[in-house]
Amino acid sequence: MTPTDRAAGPAGGAAVLPRRRFRIREQTFIGYLFLAPAAIILLIMVGYPALAGVWYSFNSKMLGFEQYHFVGLGNYVSLIKDPRVLKAIGRGFSYATISCAVKLAIGMGVALLLNMRFRGRGLARGITLLPWSLPEIATVLLWTWMFNDIYGVLNTVLLKTGIIGSPINWLGTKWAFPSVILVNIWRGFPFFAINLLAGLQTIPEEVYEAASMDGANRWQAFWNVTLPGVRTVMLIVTLLSFIWTSNDFTSIWVLTHGGPAQATETFPIVTYELAFIGLEMGKAAAVPVLLMPFFSVLIVLLVKAVSGRED
Amino acid sequence: MHLGFRTQQRISHTFGLLLMGLVLLVVLFPIYWMLLTGFKPSNEIYKLPIKLYTANPTLENARNLMKVTPFLTQLRNSITVAFVAVSIAVVAAALAGYSLSRLEFPGRDFMASAVFFTYLIPGTMTLIPLYVMLARMGLLNSLHCLVIAYLAGALPFSVWMLKGYFSTIPMELENAALIDGCNRLQALYKVILPLAGPGIVSCAIFTFTLSWNQYMLPMIFNNTENLWTLPVGLAGLVYGDVFLWGEIMSGAFLMSIPVLALYVLGQRFVVSGLTAGAVKG
Repeated sequence: MTPTDRAAGPAGGAAVLPRRRFRIREQTFIGYLFLAPAAIILLIMVGYPALAGVWYSFNSKMLGFEQYHFVGLGNYVSLIKDPRVLKAIGRGFSYATISCAVKLAIGMGVALLLNMRFRGRGLARGITLLPWSLPEIATVLLWTWMFNDIYGVLNTVLLKTGIIGSPINWLGTKWAFPSVILVNIWRGFPFFAINLLAGLQTIPEEVYEAASMDGANRWQAFWNVTLPGVRTVMLIVTLLSFIWTSNDFTSIWVLTHGGPAQATETFPIVTYELAFIGLEMGKAAAVPVLLMPFFSVLIVLLVKAVSGRED
Repeated sequence: MHLGFRTQQRISHTFGLLLMGLVLLVVLFPIYWMLLTGFKPSNEIYKLPIKLYTANPTLENARNLMKVTPFLTQLRNSITVAFVAVSIAVVAAALAGYSLSRLEFPGRDFMASAVFFTYLIPGTMTLIPLYVMLARMGLLNSLHCLVIAYLAGALPFSVWMLKGYFSTIPMELENAALIDGCNRLQALYKVILPLAGPGIVSCAIFTFTLSWNQYMLPMIFNNTENLWTLPVGLAGLVYGDVFLWGEIMSGAFLMSIPVLALYVLGQRFVVSGLTAGAVKG
């Protein structure tokens, strides 16, 4: 032990409590010391890159070249004039909107089912959570394989049951966009279901009894008791899922690489393409900055919903 | 005809169970297909019409995966990176969580909000500068860059969760230890950590799954297959000249095992950890 440590120790030397002023100095020192490892990592790996990203977006930075110069809003102008980027932004939002709407509807239905009383309910809840808890890449590769136009099981089953007449090339035609949405729904609905289930369980049984005493039918009970009861949970999971889904790179990239002919290109994909294939780092860095105001609004709503629920 | 209340209820219950069965089928069939393909002999995988079962389960795919692809190297990379990231994350998050919840110092609330804010910055925003920075530092094409990138992803949530968790532990316990002559580190190590077990386990599981499942960062940061982790390695097998679906599916199954095991083993911890951290005292 060094002399400083002993002096800073709360019971240093004698068994008397240290004077108050001394204690605050000690807490400040230890406080920052303990915080330092995490703070330094976050500063270097998140804080600096976030600011640098904004700076790059105003510069003509090319990958592999050290020199770059200030171009003001040049990158933003070229983004807004680039139909491919605009389409990817629109597509990203429709991907997230459609996926989240369906996940919310299915998730609500499955939450109601999992809230029924039946044998094996615990097991059913565990199984329902599987698509969400398996590694993303494992499920995405699995779906890539099931979508295979020749040997894929999806075509086999649909042909056998007579739902389709000839095999469909799911990931290589106009079906690609609905297909990537389907994969996102399959992976994501358990997150909605389990959280909504937790929300349902907080609604006291008495409220339903009171409602049925008042002559409410099932539909009215759902509309007037259940939905208001899980409204905040619905808002939180939908906002979270919307942010995650619209920023999702992995599943679309692995399923289609954004193709065919950019038909499944959303903004994370186009950012990657601009930066690492087009080598236009500055222009690519401008994409997330351009979308930041929108996501900030979602994040503020999310923080408000979460902190409102805790109070 | 007007049905009695009981009959009506029974019908809707039965209908509900049927729907539940359908949901479970939709969830389980693809997973069954992953397992089936992983254990099917390759001459059956690519033989039309496709059969929905196999009479000849085999380990040929898994064996092939380990022999002809760098699966084992990538498995070692995945384990190394996850292990190092978890170890550092738990220590750093415990220290920071302790600091933010138990100590009073100027700027503490600002630091706490700053940590929370880093949690909200989207990954796409930091990706490009991060790449340039790592390139300048000569850290691309290594496992080091993955560890620090995963730490950056895992720490905000872990710090925040442990901060919440620690603040549920009564201050008196710690004061007693301090009066008995423990220093802060000893108090943290001997009093707080043993009581914060579920919080620590949740933090470790969170960091592990994040590292284990990450695809985009190793794909972008490392360009040789011997430095890839499992997700990038497996996805890389899709676009080759030969179909390796049996191998890919057995790999997908193998890499799911630790995640599922943690999920099952840790579920009790994680649930109690999260609720304990979230509930305000």
